[in-house]
This record gives sequence, C-alpha cells and structure tokens, in this order.
Amino acid sequence: MTAPLLEIRNVEAGYGGQKVLRDVSLEVPAGGLVTLIGPNGHGKTTLMHAISGLVRLTSGEIRLEGQAISGRKAHQIVEKGVVQIPQGDILFTDMSVQDNLMMGAYPKAAYANAGESLETVYKLLPRLEERRGQIASTLSGGERRMLSIGRGLMANGKLLLIDEPSLGLAPLVIDQIYEVIADLKARGTTILLVEENASRVIGVADKVYLLDDGRIVWQGSADEMEENADILETYLGG
Amino acid sequence: MDTTFQILVSGLTLGAMYAISTVSLSLIWGALNVLNMAQGALLTFGGYVAYVAFSGMGLGVPLSIIFSVAAGGLLGLFMYVAVVRQMLNREGFEVNVIIATVGVGTVLEAMLQKFFGAYPIRQPLTVEGGFFVGSTHVPFNSVIIVFGSAILMVLLAMLMARTRMGRAMRAVSQSRDAARLMGVPVNLVYAQVFALAGGLSAASGIMLSTITTLAPTMGYDPMLKAFIICVVAGLGNVMGALYAAFMLGLFEAFIQFAFGVRYAFAGMLLVVIIVLVWKPNGLFGRTKVNRL
Repeated sequence: MTAPLLEIRNVEAGYGGQKVLRDVSLEVPAGGLVTLIGPNGHGKTTLMHAISGLVRLTSGEIRLEGQAISGRKAHQIVEKGVVQIPQGDILFTDMSVQDNLMMGAYPKAAYANAGESLETVYKLLPRLEERRGQIASTLSGGERRMLSIGRGLMANGKLLLIDEPSLGLAPLVIDQIYEVIADLKARGTTILLVEENASRVIGVADKVYLLDDGRIVWQGSADEMEENADILETYLGG
Repeated sequence: MDTTFQILVSGLTLGAMYAISTVSLSLIWGALNVLNMAQGALLTFGGYVAYVAFSGMGLGVPLSIIFSVAAGGLLGLFMYVAVVRQMLNREGFEVNVIIATVGVGTVLEAMLQKFFGAYPIRQPLTVEGGFFVGSTHVPFNSVIIVFGSAILMVLLAMLMARTRMGRAMRAVSQSRDAARLMGVPVNLVYAQVFALAGGLSAASGIMLSTITTLAPTMGYDPMLKAFIICVVAGLGNVMGALYAAFMLGLFEAFIQFAFGVRYAFAGMLLVVIIVLVWKPNGLFGRTKVNRL
C-alpha cells in the first residue's frame, strides 16, 4: 500500500484556551472519498480549518504526500493542492459567477490553466455557464452551492475538502449536489467530505470516520457503518 | 449659458481631483474597513515630492509626476508594513488603525513643515494659460487634470476588473476568509492596496497643488471632502465613489457660483445629511440581498 495522500496524526487544536480537537488521526488515500460524520458543534469544521491552515494546531501533524503542511500559511496550503469548499459557501457576493470562479484559480499554477478549468467546470455544472455574468448574491441557494463547488474545482487541487455540501438545501437539490460529488469521485478526485447526515454518504463514501466531542470514536467502511447502525444511533440520534 | 459652462469646467476639475483621492480612501476602506486618516498628509507629500523632483532634482514634468506617484506608493507601503500590519492580528484592530493613521499623518505633516516651512510655495508643475469658450476662460491646467484623472480611473477600473491582482483586491474586500481559502496571501493584497492608495493620493496631491499652492496643511480640506464623498457613495464602493466625486464636485462649483465660496462646504454637508436620511447605506451602497 502506498502512503496516503493526506495523513492527520494525533492532532489537537482549538480556539483560545478551548480545546476542540483531541488526538484526531485520519487518513485519506489518493483517489478515495473519505467522509467525516458527527453531530454539529463537535469539531468537524474545526478539523477542516486546521487542514487549511486557518486554525493552528496545538499538537500533532498534518502531512500531504508525506510532507508536513501543518504550520504553513493558508495560501501556501492551497498552493500545495489542498482546496476547501467551505461550509455556507462564503462566495464573493458582489462578483459575477465567472469572477468567483476565476478567484478559485488564484494560485499561479492554476491561473495558467484557468481557461481550461473554466471549460471543465462549465461542462460539469452547465447551470453556471448560463449564469456566468450574474452577480453571485442573486443566485438561488442551489446555484450558490454549485458555484462554491465549481470555484473549489478551479484550483485543480490534489485534495478537495468539502464541508457540509447539503447544508440548508432542499432534498432535491441535495441529490443534485451528491450527483456532482459522485461525478468528481468517478474522475478520480480525492475528497474529504464532512456531512452531518450519515445516510447521505452511504452510497459514495469509501471510508467513514465518526467525530464526537473532538475525538474519532468510530471508523469503518460505509457497509460496516450500515451494519453498526446502533453505534451511529447513539451518537447521531438515528 | 456662460455661467453654466463656467460651473461645469470648475466642477469637473474639482470632481476629477476628488475622484482620485476618494478612490484611494475607498480602496483602503473596502479592504480593511478602516479609514486612512493619513490620506491628507499623503496627498500633501505627493505635491511636495513633485515640487522637489522638478525644482530640486531637475527631472522633467513627466518624470517628476512618476517620481512623486512612486514615492507616494512606497510611503503607503511603508505605512502598511511599519504600522498597520502590526495591529491586524488583534480583535477590533479597526479603531487602533484609524488612530495610528492619525499619528502617521501628523508626523508626516510636521516633517513637511520642518523641511519646507509653513508658507505656501507655488507648484512649479502648474501649466499656465488657457483658452476661451465664448466668454468662459478654460485653463489648460484644468483640462489636463480632468483628462489625467480620467486616464487614471480607466486604468484603475481595468486593473480591478481584469487582472488577477485587482480581482484579489475585490475578493479580499468581500470576504477575507474565502479569499484566504482560495490561496490569496491576504497580507500581500493589503500591502498592494496601501501602495496603490499611496500612489493615487500623491497624484491627487499634485493636481491639487497646481490649483492652489503647496502648503503643509493643504491635504485637510480634500481629505474631508473625500470622506464626505465616500459616505455619500456608500463606503467601500469604488465605482460609486467615482460618480459621487464628480457629482459633488459639480455641486460644490454650483454653490460657489450661486451663493459664494464660503457656503460650499456647508452645502456639501447638507447633501450628506439628506442622502444619509434618505439612503443610510449611501447612494451606491450595498443593499444586502440575502437569499438562503
């Protein structure tokens, strides 16, 4: 077995004196789709921020392709190919759809291929092409999420961190979003996906980690997760 | 008819000058939500540097202007690196930065006064002469200011709309966190914004000093007016600031002709009050459309 693309080892982190993550270890193999589930307010987003360099680690290490990325600045981590699609989209609301996408291609290497990436993203998310000139704040919730995903794809990263892609969307739109995620997986994109709703990830995830109160309390394949429904019920309330 | 034309010439000249210093103020507000109280001193600095470059160092007119704008840019950059950046990591840094920029402005003004004295000096870059349209005298200097400002604004608009750097500046002003997640080195963008604002202030200062004279306190009045224009336009809205600058320039010229110079500033303040009562976010301010 080759070394995992992303390796999180005994990570602890938090805000101020408040510790949020306790001894978290997790691996994402190249080409895999790993899911992090768990109740709200238990550190999933903090872990994503820690990987992206927005939250400092108090101990532990995060490695990408065997190289430590923890302690680096947020923009350097993006340049290394770790791209986050943040919770709640955080779009550039006064910019057009296309300018938002172009911002996704900000790193120099990505900027050189921005034209090609735009074509790829428009092919994957044709809705965005129809709305390319529209200001982001006027999009519908589903379109915003699409734009947020499209923007994340523009950097051609090695690893996509997707934080709660179903948050606040109608069930029908969530299905569309998960179709896109399945598409990305089929293309060989490596993904670390945060999801609160465990049933959503059964069809797509290779591996599932359950994060509770800042600790990984269970891990296994999606099938094992189905078999151990009682464990999940304890943590997620069914 | 002649009066109208006279007001137009005078108003456009004022507007062009205000536009540049307002945009410079607006850029910094947009990026950091902070007012740059050293704006007036940066403007004054630009005027004096151009004077020194031309009279003291014997550079030609174009080189003196470029030298002054570059010096303004460097000073803006220095201000960011030495002062503003040191305060950014604390909660509520905005107030600290505003007060620190007051300090920077005061020191800069005092230094200019020490070097050049408090007495007004004529700006040697002023272009003499003019032409008549009907019975209205149009100074060449005004024409140059209006066109120079227009060219600068077009260049700036292109920078903001088309380039990677300009897009990143807009992105940072809309969401610092998202920009960070896109790989934007936010500190570098802030530094670029301060350099750009410094350069624009210097350009505005040169223009101003050709209309009035060089004096250590010459930046105050235009800085106040730039604040007013920013507020009327909606803080942080660069394009809106541009329109508002010309509107208020024309308005000021109108008041000066119709009621007298001393009423101009009061008249502008009256406009601010009316606009803010009517539209609290400013004429072109973002009315947030939040759709979930």
